[in-house]
Amino acid sequence: MSDLRLVRWTAVGVGVALGVLIPALLTDFLRTLAADAAIAGLIVLSLVLLTGMVGQISFCQYSFAAMGAFTVGSLVAGHHWDFWLALLVGVFFAAVVGVLVGFVALRLSGLFLAILTIGVALFFDRFVLAAGNWNSFSGGLSSWRPGRPSFFGIGLRGEYAFYLFAFGVLLAACLLVWNLRTGKTGRVLRAVRESEVAASTVGLNLTAWKLTAFGISAALAGLAGGLAAVRVGSVSAGSYDFLHSISIAAIAIVFGAGSIASAPAGGIFLIFGREALIDWTPFSTQWFDVILGAGLIFQLVHAPDGVVVDIERRITRRLRPPRQMPSESEQRSPERVPAEVG
Amino acid sequence: MILAEARFSLLPGLTVIGIVLGGTYALAAIGIVLIYRVSGVLNFAHGAVAMFSTFIAYQVSVVSGLPGWLGLLAAVAAGIAMGFIIERLTMRPLAGKPVLTKVVITIGWLIVLQAAAALIWKANAYHRAVKLVSKSGFRLTGTSVVVGYDQLTTLIVALVLALGTAAVLKYTMLGASMRAVADDPEAARLWGISVNRVTAASWMAGSAMAAIAGVLITPLITFDTFSLTLIVIDAFVAALIGRLTSLPYAVLGAFILGLVQEYPTAFTNNSGMHEVATFALLLIALAVLFRPGSRKLRVA
Repeated sequence: MSDLRLVRWTAVGVGVALGVLIPALLTDFLRTLAADAAIAGLIVLSLVLLTGMVGQISFCQYSFAAMGAFTVGSLVAGHHWDFWLALLVGVFFAAVVGVLVGFVALRLSGLFLAILTIGVALFFDRFVLAAGNWNSFSGGLSSWRPGRPSFFGIGLRGEYAFYLFAFGVLLAACLLVWNLRTGKTGRVLRAVRESEVAASTVGLNLTAWKLTAFGISAALAGLAGGLAAVRVGSVSAGSYDFLHSISIAAIAIVFGAGSIASAPAGGIFLIFGREALIDWTPFSTQWFDVILGAGLIFQLVHAPDGVVVDIERRITRRLRPPRQMPSESEQRSPERVPAEVG
Repeated sequence: MILAEARFSLLPGLTVIGIVLGGTYALAAIGIVLIYRVSGVLNFAHGAVAMFSTFIAYQVSVVSGLPGWLGLLAAVAAGIAMGFIIERLTMRPLAGKPVLTKVVITIGWLIVLQAAAALIWKANAYHRAVKLVSKSGFRLTGTSVVVGYDQLTTLIVALVLALGTAAVLKYTMLGASMRAVADDPEAARLWGISVNRVTAASWMAGSAMAAIAGVLITPLITFDTFSLTLIVIDAFVAALIGRLTSLPYAVLGAFILGLVQEYPTAFTNNSGMHEVATFALLLIALAVLFRPGSRKLRVA
């Protein structure tokens, strides 16, 4: 096992251990925040899949999440369904909406996809979830109040139990995306991202792959929505609006959509960053978005790939064994690092 | 939506509102097209710039009680300043970088301006509209439709500025330089045109348009930070109808959008019909005008 892999798996192991242990020592309030962070991490992960792996941008991830959340809300609270079945249906609905958006996105890229997804987000905000239009789904003026489920006989009412559950889901999802990335799917998706023309000339079915990517990404977001519905215990449209979607996209970009580690890091930053702002500084939560936006701008002007990706690259560079033994003259010359960074 | 319940008597009044709304969208869309053509960047912060400038006008003329035209002037100045800052500090250093990076930066500006305005002027508070002209109006002869002087002014200002922009682009040296940079920045540079200066001018002019559009639209929509930021979508739809490059078609698109948004009110009480209309038009514009292989599509 090379140094690099050793470091990577040690980091993952330590991360998981800390993820399990630290919340055990925290208060219940901080545990709910930790669960929120895991859920937000799932949404960042959905963007890592879509933006980092396929190169498709999306500003409507919270609309996909809303599909999951409101399906769970209406089925569990309105129709007394079992949570797990409702969650399954919610994830499926989110995936369907994702595929629909992906279908329109097939012919678009970059800029136009960005406009389209903002359009989708507003359509959800102002129409689908607006009170009075589709109350059996949106709950109308009163919000759905789904109760917490139990997981194979273990009740998830306790905040620590629920956090562990959400954390487990995030880990599983990360593993799924990791598998997609290293396996055949990953190679295909990378090919699609790098050059659609080249990918189609080697016989890849672009349509199917792009739709799949949108579907899986939306499903992950929908899963996050379903979890958030029971974490909060109430589902209201305000938590799934356009501003949430662009904030999470900003976070994915700031941390780097190219790395799975951005998911937990982004989730923690989004939730605990706000909290830290209230607790430790005289600023209110609204400052968080000012800082986030300014961070995004600064980031893109100076290190366009993202913070986590940048750090990973630095570590990799230090640890990766030299491909061949450098000759004496090469040893004296510095590495060709700076060119790579830009 | 049942046609039998349609209130056709509302249509003439809705037409007036739709046209006035379209006029403000036209202004915003002209700014989008101007910036896009010259710098290749689709400015997602356009609505946020409009919103922030408008709140400057609000601060000057509603909070401080100064005359409305002074507020408008302050808004335009603020718009120009923001256009300059965005271009100079965050666009110019990225020359040669992928356009999408610059576009995402404008999203960063959207977040910053939106959050800052929400901090300063309170996101959900009620804000009195900036009053430029008296609200009284006149009855269109032979109908029951009353047109407000403010609505008429809005429409006239929008049309004058649209024609003015077209004239500047066509007849002045700056306009010619802008067109040259839009067509081929490299060639323009070789002809001795300062590409940077022209690009900055387009950002400043475009943002000034956004500011005027923002101030004029305040009586027509919910006047809060979020709603105003979102007029960027309306401006996009109008600009997309002009394939992001044609000013006349963008203006036409803006009027179509204004009307299409207003008419559903006669047929249904559902909320959010505005957005449904906008979304439908957006899909149509993207599907029809930007299909692969469509003419004149500038690959960005």
